[in-house]
Amino acid sequence: MTLIHVPRPPQSALNPDRPINALLKAQIELFHKYEKRLPIQHHTRIYVSTIKTEGEAAEYIRAVTEAIHTVHAEAEAPRAKPPAPKRRRVIEFAAVADEEAERKSASKAKKEKSTAKAASSRKT
Amino acid sequence: MPAGLDNLRHLVVLMMENRSFDHMLGSLKAVDPRIDGITNQLSNPDSTGTLVAPQPLAEFQGQLDPEPDTHFPAVDLQIFGGNTHPNRLANMQGFVKSYFNQNGDVRHSQKIMYYFKQHNLPVLTTLALQFAVFNRWFASIPGPTVCNHAFAHYGTSFGNVGMNPLRVNELVKSVYERLTHAGPRHTAKLYFYDKTSSALGTTRLLRNQPELFGTFQQFLGDCDTGCLPNYSFVSPNYNDHDSGSGWEVANDQHPDHNVQAGEIFIASVYNAIKNSPLWPNTALLIVYDEHGGIYDHVVPPACTPDQFTASAEDTGTGMPFAFDRLGVRVPVILVSPWIPKGTVVDRVFDHASIPATVTRFFLGNYSPRSPRETSADVFIEPIIAPVDPNRNLLSLDAMRTDCPDFDV
Repeated sequence: MTLIHVPRPPQSALNPDRPINALLKAQIELFHKYEKRLPIQHHTRIYVSTIKTEGEAAEYIRAVTEAIHTVHAEAEAPRAKPPAPKRRRVIEFAAVADEEAERKSASKAKKEKSTAKAASSRKT
Repeated sequence: MPAGLDNLRHLVVLMMENRSFDHMLGSLKAVDPRIDGITNQLSNPDSTGTLVAPQPLAEFQGQLDPEPDTHFPAVDLQIFGGNTHPNRLANMQGFVKSYFNQNGDVRHSQKIMYYFKQHNLPVLTTLALQFAVFNRWFASIPGPTVCNHAFAHYGTSFGNVGMNPLRVNELVKSVYERLTHAGPRHTAKLYFYDKTSSALGTTRLLRNQPELFGTFQQFLGDCDTGCLPNYSFVSPNYNDHDSGSGWEVANDQHPDHNVQAGEIFIASVYNAIKNSPLWPNTALLIVYDEHGGIYDHVVPPACTPDQFTASAEDTGTGMPFAFDRLGVRVPVILVSPWIPKGTVVDRVFDHASIPATVTRFFLGNYSPRSPRETSADVFIEPIIAPVDPNRNLLSLDAMRTDCPDFDV
């Protein structure tokens, strides 16, 4: 088995201020189209016409990529929730509670009405 | 069934950027005459009419600035030498002229003929000599990056010959959708370098199906744990940027990015697979998307037309294009421990061969696919007996134990 040495590039290879090439320019245009389809709160607020360097391009692409992932994750979250408890039981309880309250309220109103009527008849 | 095919479970494609075959691997002709590289018979005229021969003077960075033009009209000039006659023949005589058109400097334009010495590219040349190198793998279109990437993912560019966003026809599914929606279900993933360097040409998939995507760190982890999908497409880093944990140098080898950084990246992908438990079950295809405007001497052949025609306005040449000719030749290497050392492949391929191979191998017969993909050759034989031994590249009866390692 042969171990082959691979030389590393010099420090000078790094230049985030290098003007963007045709490939990155096309990528920014593509991402800008897709950014416009995102919900407005996920827009980057980066004006793409001002992107001139590789470092700036990278920052914009990162922002849109993260936004795309976030929007999909947010849409997926409700679907991934565990099943809700049976609503029927809750409705039954609620309905019974409501009915009881209604019954009490109606009976109270009836009682007050009859008391008022009796008082009124006593006055007359 | 041949053992190599029987063991194959994973295919990884690594797509680098914008370098021609002669530029990267042309020096290997001197090592192995079967490799169709540089000879002393080759030349291109410069803008003064002086013939310029290829020279082994390519540098890692700083030499191809401005980046050579790869848009359709420029590549047309590179292939046809400026001849616009209807019955013209391709002659590969327009590379220096095309580069001169960009900067008007005669001496600088001659650098488009430069190629790398073998020892300058220890990773790529070692892999080419150790495994299978393709003498006739061409870009799918004589044009730039986006339309060529599209062929690797969809088997067509949907009529696109440029850098515009794809107008995807919903009938033709990407190879990832085919695999992940198939029954029995298969797995597929696009690994882009990190979030600042998303996979170019696949952003529509990113927009609609972000779950198909992973990062290079995830690729390394998936290799390590033996959890690679059936099909993986790996993208390099397309720009210099701060990743949050340090500065990252672009390693896509796109001019004028540093070529050594790309060598390290290729070696990292190879090492990750070779050191993983999946090495016996994985094949790695290293391929460049297009030639980057850099000289190559092999005339691209005609091919089956696609179902689209690009208008004269879209091509910018005054002539329509029926997708009936391939682009310029690019470096391509297939790696597997089941491939005999020193394999040289002479059959014709283009990037439509990628979805064609993946689909045929994992899914068998599948439709609809584009006419270009349907007619493209496959580089891994489907597991359907009898397998033709003359076509099967993973032909060894036992796995090799002499494969190289890289210290990266």
